[in-house]
Amino acid sequence: MIKIALPVVASALVLSACGSDDKKDDSKGSSSAPGGGGGDKPTYTIGFQAGLSGENSALGLNEKKGAELAVEQANASGALPFTLKFTTSDDEASETKSVAAAQKLIDDKNVVVVVGPAFSGPTQAASPNYAKAKLATLSPSATRVSLTDPKNNFTAFLRGTPNDSAQGGGMAMYFSQKLHLKNVMIVNDKTPYGEGLAAVAKDGLTKAGVQVQSESAPQKTPDYTSLATKVKNSGADGLIYAGYYDDAAPFAKKLKEAGVTIPMISGDGTKDDKFVDNAKDAAENWLLTCPCMDASKEAKTAKFVTDYKAKYKEDPGAYSAESYDLANFAIEQMKTFSDPKSITREALLGKLKAATYTGLTKTFKFDQNGEYVGEDIFLYTVKGGKIEYTGNIKELSKS
Amino acid sequence: MTVQEFWDYLIPGIALGALYAVIAIGYTMVYGVLQLINFAHSEVFMVGGFAVLMVFTKIDFNDPSVGMSVLLVLLGFATAGFAGAGTAFALEKVAYRPLRKRNAPRLAFLISAIGASFLLSNLAGKLFGRNNHSLTIPFENKKVFTVMNAQVTVLQVLIVCSAVIMMIGLDLLVNRTKMGAGIRAVAQDAETAGLMGVDIDKVISRTFIVGGLLGGIAGFLFAMNSSVGYTMGFFPGITAFAAAVVGGIGNVRGAMLGGLLLGLVESFSSPLFGEEWRYVSAFVVLILVLMFRPTGILGERLGRTA
Repeated sequence: MIKIALPVVASALVLSACGSDDKKDDSKGSSSAPGGGGGDKPTYTIGFQAGLSGENSALGLNEKKGAELAVEQANASGALPFTLKFTTSDDEASETKSVAAAQKLIDDKNVVVVVGPAFSGPTQAASPNYAKAKLATLSPSATRVSLTDPKNNFTAFLRGTPNDSAQGGGMAMYFSQKLHLKNVMIVNDKTPYGEGLAAVAKDGLTKAGVQVQSESAPQKTPDYTSLATKVKNSGADGLIYAGYYDDAAPFAKKLKEAGVTIPMISGDGTKDDKFVDNAKDAAENWLLTCPCMDASKEAKTAKFVTDYKAKYKEDPGAYSAESYDLANFAIEQMKTFSDPKSITREALLGKLKAATYTGLTKTFKFDQNGEYVGEDIFLYTVKGGKIEYTGNIKELSKS
Repeated sequence: MTVQEFWDYLIPGIALGALYAVIAIGYTMVYGVLQLINFAHSEVFMVGGFAVLMVFTKIDFNDPSVGMSVLLVLLGFATAGFAGAGTAFALEKVAYRPLRKRNAPRLAFLISAIGASFLLSNLAGKLFGRNNHSLTIPFENKKVFTVMNAQVTVLQVLIVCSAVIMMIGLDLLVNRTKMGAGIRAVAQDAETAGLMGVDIDKVISRTFIVGGLLGGIAGFLFAMNSSVGYTMGFFPGITAFAAAVVGGIGNVRGAMLGGLLLGLVESFSSPLFGEEWRYVSAFVVLILVLMFRPTGILGERLGRTA
């Protein structure tokens, strides 16, 4: 019954976004940035789009907090020739609502750059509009391969993370070279993310001479018992689940009940504490890949972790640090304008495309299609109810 | 498919089918007395899940003993049943009775039902968050016995047993008691039943309570099998509604049969056609049944079994 009511909410979002100012360098600020900056410093807004409510919203919230922290710290540093504001737009991780969420940011002329969207589906839906508005979107986690296909003309999309081919390839590499598996079952959740990830993993495994069986289980399947039974009966010696934690958790439970003990791996969509919270001990020994490194495990990110904890009373989650990096990347590029009043969406987009920025997590650099350059994938393992950092897959698979 | 696999999928299919049957009863009973598809029934189901989630989170048990497990399960039944019955009762009072008093057209009831469904579901989303929550099962869900090498878990036994008990109880209630006679009378001809001294309002109210009780308990059982979330009622609700139609809407025994049938079809569609064809195959069965028997397998015996 829900599905029908949602457009109403979406249109309400659009309405609430109306009435912004028309001049971006107007120091009075826009309706979304009430108050206006003091003095003659111009005010700019960094937008943020992701699913902040609804299923699988934890990733969006992680990213929002990271970006928000970056903006706050930049303002507090006092070194900026402009004042920054931060505004969010909730797409509920839904393709259908993404266009309206993006429009809200596009209509706010004070927004010069957007961090997000978080998921591949919403990115696919919103990117044509962002491209038209020449508003750069720096996504910390939209990993579907085809997003950077030049045919799309998503000219404002910049991917701040290795894509699914790196992740699916990492899974395939780990299963074939490290664990020497012979027969792997891949289950995808029918989302663009899951299908993309599954396709790349399948490709990698097939090339390595591993037999692959494919299955699909749409999100919100009410009972994973028969699928778990199928995995048990399939004779597979490894399982890849390409989907998000909301469905991975009940699936993991049923797999445990069915007595499945083969190595199980999932991607960054599942790498969230909620997966462990919901699946409880059934999550034990699950392997999770992520292009994100563990911020709390590396010395250089210690200050970020402390600041994050001080502000949000929780540890940074998956992609918090990446989102923080991307926001800082944008701020850094905004500082390079000789006249702080002349920052425009288009000019900033151009600068971001050409720039290289080393953040806490990795070095960000884009090719001509906005694709992230580099492909390090990190492996995590659920141990004792915690997602533990295991290491870089390339190095783990060398032995 | 080997014989072994057949049994492997038969057992979860029976458990799922039993759940659908219990939910379908709620749809069919209300249809019987009001000729109304109570679309908000899927939310009654959800409320049952959330009520138990709240209680179990408060108690916060850890590795309960066998006696404690039994107590917790009973508490779960009581909480879910009470919450479900209460929700259904309130629903009838707020969403349907005012319309009935004003002799509103049939369509208004349907819209009211859909509105109530949205409201309850999104209210739950607002109150409890839109993420799925995991309901801690108050016992270790281990294998109890095997049938032809297919394992049967505690939860599956619990689901099937409680569903069977509820269905027998309901069948007796409808066919053997005075209250059941009232329900059947209203279903047959509300006006005449009123003239004969049956308090129609009371009968309708009670029908909702009984349906809500079963729906709430089904929500609890379903939550243990998967998880609790504000949209958890949607798919099971639609499927159970289809089950009620397959069996013959308004017919309680038909709802039981239809639920079981669709549960089995869904379970077997996974190995035969792939998991993604689950709902497709369930609804293909619905269409096939309606093509050959437009009133459902057992037919709309409105007056006879509610």
